Amino acid sequence: MKALGQVVATLSHVPGVVVAMVVGAVDGLIIETSPLIGVSPGAPDTRKHTAALAAYLYSKVTRASDAARLGTPAFMRLEAERGHIFVVGARDLVLVTIITPDANLGRVRLEMMNAARDKS
Amino acid sequence: MSDPTVAEGWVAAPLTRLKEDARLISGVLLYPTGRAVGQFGFSNAADVMSICALTSAINASARELGRQLDGKPFYEMHHTGSERQVFMARASAGAQEFLFVGVFDRESSLGVVEIYFAEFQKALEQLRPEKQATGKGPSGDFEGELNRSLDALFGPIGKR
Repeated sequence: MKALGQVVATLSHVPGVVVAMVVGAVDGLIIETSPLIGVSPGAPDTRKHTAALAAYLYSKVTRASDAARLGTPAFMRLEAERGHIFVVGARDLVLVTIITPDANLGRVRLEMMNAARDKS
Repeated sequence: MSDPTVAEGWVAAPLTRLKEDARLISGVLLYPTGRAVGQFGFSNAADVMSICALTSAINASARELGRQLDGKPFYEMHHTGSERQVFMARASAGAQEFLFVGVFDRESSLGVVEIYFAEFQKALEQLRPEKQATGKGPSGDFEGELNRSLDALFGPIGKR
C-alpha cells in the first residue's frame, strides 16, 4: 500500500494537475497535499477551501447515488470554466485533484482510480 | 430554522450567513465575559445562558491549558459526538474579542465550518462599528451582564 505522501506525489506529477490532496471524507480536512503548481506567487491558497467543499460535495453525491440505487460513486468530475476538479473516494479518505482544462483527463482519472484502489 | 436574534444589530448578517453557509444547527456569539451578542437555533433563554457560561469557562480553561502544554493559548476546539459536533473558536473585531460556539451534524463538516468561520471572522472585522459599544469589559457583575444580554435576545423575563 502506498503511503499518502507517495499518492500525492505521484498524482501531482501527472501533467496538468495543479494540486493533489488526500482529504478526510468526514471532516473535509487536508491530510496530505502537494504544493500548488503553476499558481503565481502571492495568489491566495485555496487548497483548504477546495478540500473541504469537494469532500462535502462528494458526500452529497454519495447520497444522491445511493438514493438513485446506483451504489457508491466510483468517480466524480466537476467541469468548470477554467479546469476540473476530480474526486475519488477511498473508504474514509477522498482524493481530490484540481486539473487544467488541457490536461490528459483520462490519465489523471486512471492514476486516481489506481491510487484509490490501493487505499481501499 | 429561525433567523438569529442579536443584541447588536451589526452581527446579524454575518451570523445569518455563517449559519446558512456552514449549515449549522445552532450557534451563539458571545463576549469572553459570557455576555451573549447573538444566537440562532435556540428558543429558550436558559439554554443560551448555560451555553454562554460554559463557553466562557471552557475558553478560559483552554487558554490556560494551551499555555501550559504548548506555550500559547488554544483558540479553537472541536468535539465530535455520536450525532452532533461542537465547534468553538475565538473571533475578533478590532480590539474586541468574541467567542463563537456552533453545533453541526452530518449535513456539514469541520472543514466546511472552519472555512466559513474564517469568512465570518473577516465580516466581523469589516462591519465592526467605528466605535465599539462601551462596557464590554468585565464589570464583575457576570450574572447581571448575562441577564441583560439575554433580555436583548429573548425579551425581558415574563415576556419571553
